[in-house]
Amino acid sequence: MIFAVLIITGIAGAGMYVMKLRADNATLKANQIQLETAITEQNKVLEQQKEDFTAILESNKKLNVLINTFKKDLQDLDKRFTKKNRDIGKLAIDRTKSIERIINKGSANAARCIELASGAEHTEEELKATLKSEINPECPALANPNYVEHQ
Amino acid sequence: MICMLLSGCSIGGEKKIKIFSLEKPREKLDYPMPTALQMEEIKWIIITSENAQEVFKKLEEAGIDPVLFGITDKDYQVLARNFAQIRQKLQETNNLLEEYKKYYEDSGNTQ
Repeated sequence: MIFAVLIITGIAGAGMYVMKLRADNATLKANQIQLETAITEQNKVLEQQKEDFTAILESNKKLNVLINTFKKDLQDLDKRFTKKNRDIGKLAIDRTKSIERIINKGSANAARCIELASGAEHTEEELKATLKSEINPECPALANPNYVEHQ
Repeated sequence: MICMLLSGCSIGGEKKIKIFSLEKPREKLDYPMPTALQMEEIKWIIITSENAQEVFKKLEEAGIDPVLFGITDKDYQVLARNFAQIRQKLQETNNLLEEYKKYYEDSGNTQ
């Protein structure tokens, strides 16, 4: 009788142990899947971060180029007024009509620059401009993207 | 039979409530880019002590009030510089707007 009870208890114990092992196995499998998913997700996040950094660097570079262009445009504007000790006031007294023409042309060019800065479309003429005589000198980089200044 | 009666036919127990979260991207603020400006033309008149009479006469002949709002040559330079700076700020702001739009809308970095 005792022997039978021991055998039954043993079998039951063994059965329970096997069931526990199965349950542990299933848990481990589920954990493994979750870990793999987490790794894939982390890799995706890292990749996205890498892409973002590249985009930010590129954007910074573009804005720096733009700010340098601004500085150069302002320097060029100052140069136009003061080149070779030029005095625009004296010039206007000596050659009133021609300076008036130049001022009006410059004013029209500057107005066009503001239009372009606010997002206006370039005209075909502006896009084709490659020579110094064809460009809008108030904002060459903005108005004439294909113009390359020769130093 | 007794078990069935006691458990009210609910063998297998109550169903578990499943809670899941669904990520819904934020709605895009889809403003169109600002419309480009259209500047009106202005005419500059250079007036000196020598041509003043002639300029005012021409204005009167053209039916324009013989009055001019003047600035000196130095102030003209300042005005030109100020306009250039306004234009640059406009361009910078527009560029920033485009860059933001590109970064947050093109690559799906919606936050």
